[in-house]
Amino acid sequence: MANQLMRISWLKKALAPSFLVVMSISVLTACTSEEQKLIERGEVIYTGTCKVCHAQAINGAPILGNKKMWSKRTGQGIDVLVQHASEGYGLMPAKGGNTDLTSDDLRAAISFMLSKLEE
Amino acid sequence: MKVKTALKRSLLVGSFVSGSIMLSACGEPETTGIAPKLYTDSLFAVMNADRANYTKLVVKRLGPAGANVVKPDEHWEDLPNGTLLPAQMFRAGAEAVAEVTDEFTYSLQSIWPINSQNAPKTPIEKAGLEYIAENPGENFYGEEELGGTTYFTAVYPDVAVSDACTTCHNDHKDSPKTDFKLGEIMGGVVIRVPLGSS
Repeated sequence: MANQLMRISWLKKALAPSFLVVMSISVLTACTSEEQKLIERGEVIYTGTCKVCHAQAINGAPILGNKKMWSKRTGQGIDVLVQHASEGYGLMPAKGGNTDLTSDDLRAAISFMLSKLEE
Repeated sequence: MKVKTALKRSLLVGSFVSGSIMLSACGEPETTGIAPKLYTDSLFAVMNADRANYTKLVVKRLGPAGANVVKPDEHWEDLPNGTLLPAQMFRAGAEAVAEVTDEFTYSLQSIWPINSQNAPKTPIEKAGLEYIAENPGENFYGEEELGGTTYFTAVYPDVAVSDACTTCHNDHKDSPKTDFKLGEIMGGVVIRVPLGSS
């Protein structure tokens, strides 16, 4: 009996690190997957509404992937960027003129645009 | 003896180098200069920035939405405090450049022009304006031959960026399209540069 308990205890100790690694990978994968889904959704919204200005710097809109143009914006944080996009900012009309877009849609589109700065 | 050999070598090397230079001058195409696409993209970047700045720093800042000391209006000349609409300011720039040089031209055109003079005139202009209208955010690049000269023609989108743009076009008696929405393509900036005689 004592031997069995010893074995179980040893097994727990041996498996604990593996269990933690597996759990960490699962959590990370889930996060990455969620983030990836958000970015993919954002790309659709970007293409449908934002691209028309953000591909060309129309009215000063920061160009997709242009680190120089985005450098002043990224430090503000995504919440501020979502608020600006939602309410309109400078020459940008509220929601880029597409009133059907929700705050979540805007967050997805901005997440997609920010992801392009990491490439 | 050594001097003679060195002289011979120098002459041989010199002949080879000068021969190579002459051959390359005869047969090799000239590769220096800016690529046409980079050239027109750069021109558009300047035009676009100037237009955005005029809209932001004059129309919005000093117009009814700001200090209200100027009145942006299509018929600005008839008003004591009238000022040009951003699209009119853009056209004024194109006209001023046309007085200075023929090295490049640019114009604001549309397949739905209020003024028929601003409709596309060549097949490439028409194809370009249709392409950018169907592919928001994309540019169009092509070549065309006019009067014996080959031109690089680029078309960039002109977007309805404010309610003022859509209202003015939709309500205008001469507008062939009356359902423009914010964010839609209204026309295009056509930039044309000569590539050389064909």
